[in-house]
Amino acid sequence: MRCGFLCRFLWLWPYLFYADAAPIQKVQDDTKTLIKTIVTRINDIAHTRSVSSKQRVTGLDFIPGLQPVLSLSKMDQTLAIYQQILTSLPSGNVLQISNDLENLRDLLHLLASSNSCPFPRTRSLKTLEGLDDVLEASLYSTEVVVLSRLQGSLQDMLQQLDFSTGC
Amino acid sequence: MACQKFRMALLLWEFIYVITAFNLAYPSTPWRFKLFCMPPNTTYDFLLPAGISKNTSNLDGYYEPLLEAKFNSSGTYYSKLTSKITFHCCIWSEENENCSVQADNIEGKAFVSTVNSLVFQQIGANWNIQCWMKEDLESLICYIEPLFKNSFKNYDLKVHLLYVLPEVLEESPLVPQKGNFQLVQCNCSAHKCECHVSVPAAKLNCTLSMYLKITSGRVIFQSPLMSVQLITIVKPDPPLGLHMEITDSGGLNISWSSSTLVPFQLQYQVKYSENSTSRREADEIVSATSLLVDGVLPGSSYEVQVRSKRLDGPGIWSDWSTPVIFTTQDVIYFPPKILTSVGSNVSFNCIYKNENKIVSSKKIVWWMNLAEKIPESQYNIMGDHVSKVTLPSLNATRLRGKFTYDAVYCCNENECHHRYAELYVVDVNINIICETDGYLTKMTCRWSTNAIQSLAGSTLQLMYHRSSLYCSDAPSIHSTSEPKDCHLQRDGFYECIFQPIFLLSGYTMWIRINHSLGILDSPPTCVVPDSMVKPLPPLSVKAEITAKVGLLKISWKKPIFPENNLQFQIRYGLNGKEIQWKMYEVYDAKSKSVSLPVPDLCAVYAAQVRCKRLDGLGYWSNWSTPAYTVVMDVKVPTRGPEFWRIIHEDSTKKERNVTLLWKPLMKNDSLCHVRRYVVKHYTAGNGTWSEDVGNHTKFTFQWTEQTHSVTVLAINSIGASFANFNLTLSWPMSKVNIVQSLNAYPLNSSCVILSWMLSLSDYNLIYFILEWKILNENNEIKWRRIPSSVTRYYIHDHFIPIEKYQFSLYPIFMEGVGKPKIINGFTQDDIEKHQTDAGLYVIVPIIISSLTLLLGALLILHQRMKKLFWDDVPNPKNCSWAQGLNFQKPETFEHLFIKHTESVTFGPLLLEPETISEDISVDTPWENKDEKVQTALVPLLLTTADLEKGSICINDQCNSASFSEAESTKMTCEGEGRRQSSVKYATLLCNSKSSATDDEQGLINSSVSKCFSSKNPPTKDSLSTSPWEIETQAFFMLSDQHPNIISPHLTFSEELDKLLNPEGNFSEEHNDEKSVYYLGVTSMKKESSVFLTDESGVLCPFPAHCLFTDIRILQDSCSHLVENNFNLGTSGQKTFVSYMPQFQTCSIETQKIVENKMCDLTV
Repeated sequence: MRCGFLCRFLWLWPYLFYADAAPIQKVQDDTKTLIKTIVTRINDIAHTRSVSSKQRVTGLDFIPGLQPVLSLSKMDQTLAIYQQILTSLPSGNVLQISNDLENLRDLLHLLASSNSCPFPRTRSLKTLEGLDDVLEASLYSTEVVVLSRLQGSLQDMLQQLDFSTGC
Repeated sequence: MACQKFRMALLLWEFIYVITAFNLAYPSTPWRFKLFCMPPNTTYDFLLPAGISKNTSNLDGYYEPLLEAKFNSSGTYYSKLTSKITFHCCIWSEENENCSVQADNIEGKAFVSTVNSLVFQQIGANWNIQCWMKEDLESLICYIEPLFKNSFKNYDLKVHLLYVLPEVLEESPLVPQKGNFQLVQCNCSAHKCECHVSVPAAKLNCTLSMYLKITSGRVIFQSPLMSVQLITIVKPDPPLGLHMEITDSGGLNISWSSSTLVPFQLQYQVKYSENSTSRREADEIVSATSLLVDGVLPGSSYEVQVRSKRLDGPGIWSDWSTPVIFTTQDVIYFPPKILTSVGSNVSFNCIYKNENKIVSSKKIVWWMNLAEKIPESQYNIMGDHVSKVTLPSLNATRLRGKFTYDAVYCCNENECHHRYAELYVVDVNINIICETDGYLTKMTCRWSTNAIQSLAGSTLQLMYHRSSLYCSDAPSIHSTSEPKDCHLQRDGFYECIFQPIFLLSGYTMWIRINHSLGILDSPPTCVVPDSMVKPLPPLSVKAEITAKVGLLKISWKKPIFPENNLQFQIRYGLNGKEIQWKMYEVYDAKSKSVSLPVPDLCAVYAAQVRCKRLDGLGYWSNWSTPAYTVVMDVKVPTRGPEFWRIIHEDSTKKERNVTLLWKPLMKNDSLCHVRRYVVKHYTAGNGTWSEDVGNHTKFTFQWTEQTHSVTVLAINSIGASFANFNLTLSWPMSKVNIVQSLNAYPLNSSCVILSWMLSLSDYNLIYFILEWKILNENNEIKWRRIPSSVTRYYIHDHFIPIEKYQFSLYPIFMEGVGKPKIINGFTQDDIEKHQTDAGLYVIVPIIISSLTLLLGALLILHQRMKKLFWDDVPNPKNCSWAQGLNFQKPETFEHLFIKHTESVTFGPLLLEPETISEDISVDTPWENKDEKVQTALVPLLLTTADLEKGSICINDQCNSASFSEAESTKMTCEGEGRRQSSVKYATLLCNSKSSATDDEQGLINSSVSKCFSSKNPPTKDSLSTSPWEIETQAFFMLSDQHPNIISPHLTFSEELDKLLNPEGNFSEEHNDEKSVYYLGVTSMKKESSVFLTDESGVLCPFPAHCLFTDIRILQDSCSHLVENNFNLGTSGQKTFVSYMPQFQTCSIETQKIVENKMCDLTV
């Protein structure tokens, strides 16, 4: 009797596992797809393609740089900064990217929750110091650099998600 | 010291005085007061009339006339004043009975004393004064009105208002300086003056200081200084929009709109009265803008008024609003109208008053649309008079004409009031379809209003709520929703665009229907833009036929968006106006091309690709721009061309020139373009060599050796054909004959069958060459390669029937071309048979159709003649010749003619006389004895060929214009030269005796039958030239009253001669002696004649099919036969009047005999 129950449970186990795993897998897939979509969007913006990666632009320290290993919460913080900068940019085509970042952050939260390591949502950041002045003086540089660095960060995140989806 | 103390005391007194003075001299003035004034130096000890109470409340009543009388005398006093005098005034209000008198104010020497106001009322000049702030908070208004209207002359009344408004709210209004006062001239009319002071709205909380200076003549009435806080004297406007309605719960809801200008809350006073069976009045103060009155009764009227006032703190009541009257109906439905969606449950309540009596709720029944009673199970009794009905699971309201609602009736058993409640049930299941564009930046949602078109006056709005990620399993209407602008498109759909979008957010959307009756929401639907993507079509689509492989290769590039895995659908087909597409699907997301087999490698193919997410979400993209293949060489030609040779042999030079002929390769074989042909030779002596022919299809070379093999190769850009045809020209082999026979059978002008027989041979037969050409013409030789196994072959070509064709069949052996079998023309037997058959096919239908036409013509003529016979029977009274004749019993046939004719005339039967007289011409008969019988004389009735004496013969050679007598026979013949004469007749001898001998019969038989010899048939021309041939035929039957001269030849001829005598010298003797029996037969060939029998008196049909070749007239039994009377006249030009055949009595028996005989003759 017990053996029969155990066998039945073992037979059902893969299905139970799949039922639980399917949404997580979907979230992971959607996260990767969204990252790729944002990267493609940035690529599709004409003036960002011609920027040389060798040339370093100074004075834009408030824009996050590349960070080798990021946790999900750190990713969220980084993306929040990018989102804030993008929202400040008057360019229309970055508005969609800002929305995508919003979705991406939500996905990261969902991933973290599914991994049992939820983190608090990054609150609205204080106005970045000197952002308005910089935007007024060097809008083009800011846009190019922020998109470029965002693209790099996203590609890093994508790789990291491929390897591990831990907290 | 004492002085100092005094000074100190004085200062203290001054201080106290000042403090007191300020407090008393600038009171907070009420908005409505009275100003009592009296001259200076007037003692206040007026005595009140005895018995009059000091209660000021009586001032406006009994006491006022008394005061007025007093002031009438005072007015006289004022007018008599010669010097300027200032009256001191005090302010009296209902709140304060004592008057505050300011003896000398404004200038700082204020002296205030409090006096009982009644004193002023008795001796002074008094005014009513009202001051308030308007609702716009921008103007202060004061009305000044003399208390006793006759006190002052209006013309000299001048009123000024002097005021001070502190600039700053905190500014102390201690002692306004005289120069600070602003003067406002008031407008005075009949008995009232009006002052307007503009006040900035921002200073509503400030205190205004003011006093009035009223000048009348030399008297100045000056009010004390007054102070007022403006906000406390704001007088709102009366409330607007007073409205009453029955609530869903059956109450009366009185509502109005609130003022939006005043900066404070208002309270409202509602005054209403109910006028029904009993009157009810109420006065309620509420802070809301509505008041609910319970217990509303049907058939009642309610009059309502409302006014408003500041809620907190002092204020002034506004004026009452305009009264509004609301009358309830005899039937009250609550709610009176319901708007709801499909599937919901609604309830109606009802109070029914019938004939001044409210119906008990137990007796109330409900009906729907006056057509359907609502089941009582759905009723609820809510009280003694309130009935409730519940309608569950409602269906959408069906349009009934212009009515878009269901009418719900509350009835008293079998009696329904005409008023009803309206129920609007709307199907709000609106489908919202969204599509995200290929760039993933825009989502377009569309929805149609078809489902709710019936709800007039409604507005639709798309509401949505965005969740951060994905959709919930059961989308619901969220409280924090936003409207979205949508635009109506031409196709009737509303289109809403979300841009930019949150790709993975869940957009919960629904349609909100706003209507005056309420708000309805459609069921919400949730979409994630990412799952609604219609991708961009694949890019860089190319199509080509792969070289050497020979497959249609279609390649493409994935669109930049979306990043998801995609599936692809390919359609391809031969390019043309209407492409027949074939589909192919690719489920490998990484695929970028596909190779497909196609039947025709040398055709242009069109190909298109579209894509969709591999997981099935979203839509198919549009088809890509079509890509076309380019026709180019794919492989080497599949084979070389088929070729044949023509040998030109020059016997003088002993040379043989061979010309090779071949057809250009088609694309299917050449794959796809042949650039050139190469002829490859092989001989035993010279070995192998090749010759480039280029694009030509003909090549000539000299055949010198015994055996010469040739091959023709086709070459395209890929290479030369591998499979080629060989032909060996061998002199010895040209004598090998294996074709025994060759037959050609033409099927039609485009097909010929060839069959042949072979004999046994040791040679290896490869195939045949069939060659054909028009004989004697060398311009074109056609040939065809035929497999060796075939013994019959169909040639499809255009064969000209009048040409002769030569067919040659060459057996082709491995060793060389054998001896051909040659035939010239088609096989004869079959041709004849074929022709016969063909003729049969043509002739038989013609014969059948001709017979049909002939039969039809006969029938028509028969009908016509029958009609003419009866229509033209003469009336003896009107016909001169027939007068005196007894047509019923003529003794003899001649009797009919004795009286009126001296000569026998005849004419064609039933023809118009004019025509006849012109046509008939009788020449002198019997001139040429050798002449043959004229064919025109006798119709085609005789078949026996006998030209013996006594016969009337027909000869096709009878062309003379005379009647001829052949030997002893008198013959008539109408010559060709007399084509105008067209009388055709035959003569028959009719024996008067019925017992005529067989000899006689035979004689008659022979004389008639033999006369019309088949050997001398009437020519067609001779027949056709007779115009009467068709119309009628005169057939004479002469009575044989002289049996002795039975010789029909002579008798007939003689009689005929006389008959045909143009002079018409027929003597009566002859007539007496002979009875001419006419057998009236019309159109003997085509029509059947009739007999009218004596006994029966009916027309007996004369069988048309009977021939008169052997007729024997039974004169005994048949006293008279039908006659034709031809009134020929003396000349051809003479007009004569024809008469109709006279039908004499003829026994039925006789008729039958005649008929039988006649019929027998034909058999």
